[in-house]
Amino acid sequence: MKKTILAAALALSLPAMAQTRTPIGHLMDNSGPTSDVGVPYGQGVTDTLAWANANNRGRPTNVLGFDYGYQAPRAVSQYQAWSRDRVAAIQGWGTVDTEALVRFVTRDRIPFVSGSYSAALTDAGGRSGRQGVEAAPYNFFYGPSYSDALRAMLLWARDDWRARGQAGAPRYVHMGANHPYPNSPKEAGETLARELGFEVLPAIQFALTPGDYTAQCLTLRSGGAHYAYLGNTAGSNISVLRACQTAGVQVQFLGNVWGMDENAMKAAGIAANGVVFPVRSLAVWGQQAPGMANVQAISRISDAAGTAYRPVHYVAGVCAAMLMVEAMESAGENGGAMTGERIRNGFYARQNWVPRGFDGVCAPSNFTATDHRGTLAVPLYRARVTGDTATGSVAELVAAGTIRLEPVTTITLDRRADWLGW
Amino acid sequence: MALAPAGEFHASYRADMTIMPTRNARRALLLGIVLLCFAPLVLGRYELGLLINIGFMGIAALGLNILVGFTGQISIGHAAFFGVGAFLSAYLHERFHIPVILCIPLAGLGTALVGLVFGLPAARLKGLYLAIATLAAQFILEDFFARAQWFTGGVSGRMTEAVELFGIRFDREESYFYVVLAFTIIMFVMAANLMRTRDGRALIAVRDHYLSAEVMGINLAYYRTLSFAISSFYAGIAGALYAHYLFFVSVEAFNILFSIQFLAMVIIGGLGSVMGSLMGAAFMVLMPEGVQALADMLAGGWIDRTLKLGASISFLREMAIGAAIIIFLVFEPDGLAHRWKQIKAYWKLYPFSH
Amino acid sequence: METGLLFQLVLNGLIVGALYGVVAMSFVLIYKASQVVNFAQGEFMLIGAWACWWLLTYWQLPFWIGFPVALAFMTVFGVVLQVMVLRPLIGEPVISVIMATVGLSIFFQALMKWMFGVFAQPFPAIFPVERIRIMGLEVQSVYLLSIALSLMIMLGFWWFFNFSKHGLAMRATAFDQQVAQSLGISVPQVFAMSWAISAVVSAVAGVVVGVVSGVSSGLSFYGIKVFPAVILGGLDSVVGAMLGGIIVGVLENLAQYVDSQWLNWGNMTNIAPFYALIIILLIKPYGLFGTKNIERV
Repeated sequence: MKKTILAAALALSLPAMAQTRTPIGHLMDNSGPTSDVGVPYGQGVTDTLAWANANNRGRPTNVLGFDYGYQAPRAVSQYQAWSRDRVAAIQGWGTVDTEALVRFVTRDRIPFVSGSYSAALTDAGGRSGRQGVEAAPYNFFYGPSYSDALRAMLLWARDDWRARGQAGAPRYVHMGANHPYPNSPKEAGETLARELGFEVLPAIQFALTPGDYTAQCLTLRSGGAHYAYLGNTAGSNISVLRACQTAGVQVQFLGNVWGMDENAMKAAGIAANGVVFPVRSLAVWGQQAPGMANVQAISRISDAAGTAYRPVHYVAGVCAAMLMVEAMESAGENGGAMTGERIRNGFYARQNWVPRGFDGVCAPSNFTATDHRGTLAVPLYRARVTGDTATGSVAELVAAGTIRLEPVTTITLDRRADWLGW
Repeated sequence: MALAPAGEFHASYRADMTIMPTRNARRALLLGIVLLCFAPLVLGRYELGLLINIGFMGIAALGLNILVGFTGQISIGHAAFFGVGAFLSAYLHERFHIPVILCIPLAGLGTALVGLVFGLPAARLKGLYLAIATLAAQFILEDFFARAQWFTGGVSGRMTEAVELFGIRFDREESYFYVVLAFTIIMFVMAANLMRTRDGRALIAVRDHYLSAEVMGINLAYYRTLSFAISSFYAGIAGALYAHYLFFVSVEAFNILFSIQFLAMVIIGGLGSVMGSLMGAAFMVLMPEGVQALADMLAGGWIDRTLKLGASISFLREMAIGAAIIIFLVFEPDGLAHRWKQIKAYWKLYPFSH
Repeated sequence: METGLLFQLVLNGLIVGALYGVVAMSFVLIYKASQVVNFAQGEFMLIGAWACWWLLTYWQLPFWIGFPVALAFMTVFGVVLQVMVLRPLIGEPVISVIMATVGLSIFFQALMKWMFGVFAQPFPAIFPVERIRIMGLEVQSVYLLSIALSLMIMLGFWWFFNFSKHGLAMRATAFDQQVAQSLGISVPQVFAMSWAISAVVSAVAGVVVGVVSGVSSGLSFYGIKVFPAVILGGLDSVVGAMLGGIIVGVLENLAQYVDSQWLNWGNMTNIAPFYALIIILLIKPYGLFGTKNIERV
C-alpha cells in the first residue's frame, strides 16, 4: 500500500524522472544484531549510490532502502514488495537475507550484491559438485570470500611461524558459534591448515552474543594453540579478546572481515592489540591513494563537515556499490534495457576491474560466468591499540594514534578449481 | 433472520453447537472465501506475500491458542515446533521422495509426535514452571537443529521444493496463495469443530479449573498432553507451509523471538478465540509493514527534518512494536476478537447502542 | 585429566555464577512480590550499564559518584515502570503480564540502541589493578566487587525480609494479596518497591558485565541465563536463586571442560543448563528450593 502511495506521488510530481530512474533495492541492518558492522557498510552503499546519481556515474537510479533488522522473513517480504516495483538489482547485506533470497533472485534474475562472502555463493555455474552448493549465478560480492580470507591468513601464519624461528608444528584452532557465518570457512580453513603442516585442535565454540568466555580462553590455553581464528562478528569477539587478555592467554588471534574493525578495537581496548585480520580495500580511511579523493567526496554526502571517521566497512561498501554502478553502466551501453540479465553480464564485462576513479582503493575484481570469486588478493592488517580507549570517539583515537591499522602483507591465492564454492 | 437474537434461545443441542450462529454469518464467510479466491487476480505479489504470511502464521498461532487459550498451558517454545515441521517436510521430500503436498500433513503428524515427547513431562508442570520448561525446549531444539546435519542440513540450512499437484508447480505467490488458503480453511474449521466435541470442552475445563476438571473425571495428564500434541500438529503444518513458500529453511529463523511473536499473536488476537488467532497473526504481520509505511511517508518530510529522525526510524519501528504490545495489553486485554464482537454489537443496535 | 584446568574452570564458574545469582535474585524478588515473570530483566541490566557508562564517560564522573547516581536513577525507573505499565495489568492472566514484560524488553532494546548507538563501548578503568590472581586464575577485580556486592545484597535481603516492616509487608503480600490489603499494607507500594529494588540489583550486575566485556545491546542476553538459575533455585526463594546462579555458572564451566576434553560436540556451555533444567523439573516440578503446592483430588 505504502509503495502505491509513494509511487503515485512520484508519478504525479515527476512523470519523466520516474520513467528513466532504475529502481534498486538496498537491504540494510541498522537496528538488528549485526548493526555494529551493518551501519557503516550500509552507509557506504547509500552514500555511494547517491554520489553516483549526483555525478552521473552509471545509470540514474532510484534507491529503495530498507532496514530489515537481520530478520529473514522481513527481507523476504520486502523482496516481494520490490519485485512489484521491478527493482533491477539489489544491494544486500548478511548471511540470513542472502541465503534466504538465493533461489528467489536466481528465479527472478535479479543481481544481488551481498555483504555475505560465503564461498558457496561463488559457484555461479553450480559446477563444483559440492554437497549443498547450488548455482548462484546472480549473487556477487566485493572482496575475498570468507574461506579465501582465512586461507590467506593461514598462509601468513605459516610464514610468520617460520620467520619467528619456532620449532615443531604450530597449532591452529577455529573458534566461533555453531552458526552459518562462523562455520562457513571452518572446513576450508582446517583442511588447508592440515595441508600446511599445522596441528589442528578441536574447534572451540562460543555464542554470538557477548558473555563471559573465560572458560573458552582457559581451554584455548590448555590446548596450547598458537593461532586461533575468531569466526564470530565483533560483539562476541570482543568478549573473547578481553577474557583471554584477563586470563593471560598468549595466542595470535586471526580476525575476520566482519569481526574486527576500528569500533571493535575501541571496545576491546588493549585486548585487541596484535589481532591480524583481512581488509577488503587496498587503502583504509586516512591513507593516501589516488581513489581516496572520491571516497572522501562520497563520505561528504552524509557528513558535510568532513570530520567523520569511516571504518573499513564503509570503504568496502563504497567498492561494492561502485561495482554495481559500473555493471549497470555496461548494461545500459548502446541503449540497452536495465534487465537483471544485462546487469549481470555487466559484471563480466571487465578484466581486473577497478571502478573508474577508485584506483588504489578498490581491489581489482574478475568475475566470470562460472566463477564469482572477484578477488583472491587479501590485504592483511594488524590491529594496534596502544592506550586507553574508553574516552574519545574513534576519530579522536585514530587521530591520536591510540588506534592504528598496521598493514602486514598482501597474500594472493591461486585460483584453484577445487577451492571454487568452498 | 438477519441477525442473531439478543439472548441464547437455542431449542436443541444441535442449534447450540453450530459453528455459525446464523445463516447470514455462514454466507458472509463463504463470500469472504470466494472473494479471497480472486485475490491473486487483483493483488500484487507483495500483498499476496503478506496474505500468505498471515495464513501460515495464523495456523501456527491457532495451534498455540489451543494450548494457551483453551487449555491454559503456556508455551514459549512454539517456534521450535514450527521449525520441526519445516525441516521435517523438507526432509521427507528429499529423503523419501514423497510428494510435497503429502509431506505437509505428514510433517504435521511428525511434529505432533515430537510435541508428545515434550508434552509428556509437561503434563506434570503448571504455569510458570511449564513456561520455563518450554523455554528450555526452545533452546534444546534450536541446538539440535544446528547439529543434526542429516536432518536440517546443519547450520547452513536446507533447500526445499515447491508444491506440485497435477503437473502445476505452486512456486509463485499467485499460485501458492491457494495452497495456503486451502490449508488455512481446513485447519480453522478443524479447530472450530474440535471445540464442539467432548475433548474440546474437556480442554476448556482443564483451563478454567483443573482441580474441578479432575473431579469431574477428566484425565488431566491425558488432556494436557493431547493439547500439546494438537498444538504441535498445527505448528508443524504451518512450518511446512513456510518451508515450501521460502524454498529455504535455516535454524536461524526459529529463535526465541519468533516464539514470542506467536505468543503476541495469540494474546493480541484474543486468548481462547479461533478467529482471534487469525486476527492476531494479521496484526503482527501487518504492523511492522504499517510502521514502515509511516516511516517512509515521514522520510524527507517536515516532521523528519524538524525531529532529525533520519536513520533512527528503524529504532522507532522496533519501539513501536514493543509499545503496541504493551498498549494492547493495557487497553485491550481481551484481544481483537473481543473488540470485533463489540463493534458488531454496536452496529447491530445502532443507533440505540444502550 | 587436567586437574589444573578443571580447578580453574570450577573457580571461574563460581565467580561468574555469583553474577548470574545476582540477576536471578532480582528476578525472584519481582516474582515473589508481584507474581510477575520479568522477561525484561536483561534490559534492566542493559539500562543500568548504559546509564553508568554515560555518567562516567560523558560527564567524566568518578566511579564512586557515577555508580550510585546510576543506581538512584534505576530506583526511579523501576517505580515509574511499575506504575505506568504493570499496575494497570494487575488481575490480568499471567500470560498477559509475561507478554507485557516481553513488550518492554523489545521497546527498551531498541531505545537503548537509538540513544547510545549500535557499537559496543568500553568502560573506563575503575580499579587501579585490573585483575587479581586467585589460586592460579586471573580474575577481573570487578568480579570481586560483584561478589562482595552480591553478598551485601543477600545480607540486605535477608534482613529486609525478616526484620524490616516493608520486607514483612512484601512477604505478606506475596502470601495473600487480599489479606495483606485488609491488614493495611499498601499493595501497590510494595509492588513498586520490589520493582525498584530489582532494577537496582540488576543494574549492579549490568555494570559488572559492562566493565568486563564492554557495553552493547547483546548484554541483555544475560537475562535468559536467569531462567535455569531460578528454576534450579525455585521461583520464590532468594537464597535459592543465588545458589541456582552459582550452580549454573559451575555447570557451564564443567560442560566446557567435559566438552573440550572428551566430547568435542561444541556449544555444551550454553545448552547444558537447559538440559539440567528439564531434568530437574522432571524430578522436582517446583525446582530444588521452591515452595511446593500440595493439591489433592
